[in-house]
Amino acid sequence: MALIRVVLPYLYAAIAIIAVWQGVVTLTSAHVAILPPPALAAQTFIELVASGEIFIHIRASLSRVIAAWGLSALVAVPLGLAMGRWRRFENIVDPVVELFRPISPLAWIPLAILWFGISETGKIFIIFVATFFPILLNTVSGVKGVDKVLIRAGQVLGCEDEWSLFRKVILPAAMPTIIVGFRIAFGTGWAAIIAAELVAAQSGLGYLIADGMEILRSDLVMVGMAVIGVLGVLIDSVFRIISNRYDWGT
Amino acid sequence: MMVETPQSKAISIRQLAMTFESTEGEKVKALHPIDLEISAGQFVALVGPSGCGKSTILNILAGFLTPTQGRARVGGEPIIKPSIDRGVVFQDYALFPWLNIIDNVAFGLERMGVRKKQRNEIAAEYLATVGLQEFERKKPSELSGGMKQRAAIARVFATDPSIILMDEPFGALDALTRRFLQHQLLEIWQKHKKTIIFVTHSVQEAVYLADRVLVMTARPGQIKLDNPIDLRYPRDFTSKGFRDHEKLIYDVLDEELAKTFDLESKGRLVD
Repeated sequence: MALIRVVLPYLYAAIAIIAVWQGVVTLTSAHVAILPPPALAAQTFIELVASGEIFIHIRASLSRVIAAWGLSALVAVPLGLAMGRWRRFENIVDPVVELFRPISPLAWIPLAILWFGISETGKIFIIFVATFFPILLNTVSGVKGVDKVLIRAGQVLGCEDEWSLFRKVILPAAMPTIIVGFRIAFGTGWAAIIAAELVAAQSGLGYLIADGMEILRSDLVMVGMAVIGVLGVLIDSVFRIISNRYDWGT
Repeated sequence: MMVETPQSKAISIRQLAMTFESTEGEKVKALHPIDLEISAGQFVALVGPSGCGKSTILNILAGFLTPTQGRARVGGEPIIKPSIDRGVVFQDYALFPWLNIIDNVAFGLERMGVRKKQRNEIAAEYLATVGLQEFERKKPSELSGGMKQRAAIARVFATDPSIILMDEPFGALDALTRRFLQHQLLEIWQKHKKTIIFVTHSVQEAVYLADRVLVMTARPGQIKLDNPIDLRYPRDFTSKGFRDHEKLIYDVLDEELAKTFDLESKGRLVD
């Protein structure tokens, strides 16, 4: 029943959005190529599901994000742990990070195309950029936020070297913050993959949208957008469940 | 079943001094050179005005701080860094919030390489000693302050260190819980006879628990009074002997407090 309580608000929201959408279509009697009615979009969605095409796009987008996000975590977590723990190291690395951080992942798209063409590598590169900073910054602040007294407790309970202290105290203590970073990163990655696919792809939800625009099929665009939104919510709720597990209540 | 006891050890402090540097580069003398011998199994309470360096001594003995001068030894060995052989009970418990209570108590045993079955037995035994057997599977956040500190005490005794350092362990607890825990601590101490250094603000607590009370001066800290308490356990707060000790300690403290306030009003005491 808890599931219903979670899903219900989203259901209401969906109904409200569709109602407004239908209202605008009726009131403006917009051309179907400009703003298709919800019923047409639903029909297109069913067709895409029946043909299996939509799943190809979902899989293409998701696997790119997961691969890049995982890669990001592999690099950003160790780097963040080191930056959070060693002040001197942070002082060296932080200015570099701060110079790159304001550059939108989308600004990397031209270079990604120049360097990697429209291959998978290019897209993974862009998503890597998009997911890297949230994970890094959360890891750093997670490590810095570890209560000093817990570190001392670890030291007098047998974590006499830095490595065991990391493994047994610092990492678990920083974990909730790091998971928040994973969650935010997946969100930014998910937003960026669509942008990357808009310009440089032959598959993926972003490609579906771009293609729909080119052939004047705004129903395809709408379906693509709806799928992006719903999947975004689903993925985020998975992360929420995971991070609740790590919430030990302070 | 207990882990083989390395028994308790004596503490020897020679010409120990500590100077901190504030962020503005100003040097603050926290400890005047101190000499102190504590024999194995003794329960020593440290009292003194705030900022007198009680916690500094404790942190040096724990190995968290390196003294600027002199040396502290435990069982003849110089203290270089924190060690599982010198247990610490912190004022704010310092339980690991991601572990349940029994895993917290077994944490040090795991680091010592004790196998899971055995360390759980030992941890359960110490939890029973402090009356927490029902709470083994709870997370620290589900426990009250007093229960958390009992778990922390079980955790420190479980690894069987040769000395135990306690930094105002009952300072954050209400009076009744405090009384109860003092009682439990005495019971465990009498059973295991660990060397205990106990920092407290409460003169009554010091006289009730310790067999030796050290009164420190205002900063830079020095030991002004070394008062052995020869009263039999369990002690009676209202007995004449008890109150005589309290009075003796208060007389010395009052003098020091006056100096502390004087320093504070001149803005020279940075805590």
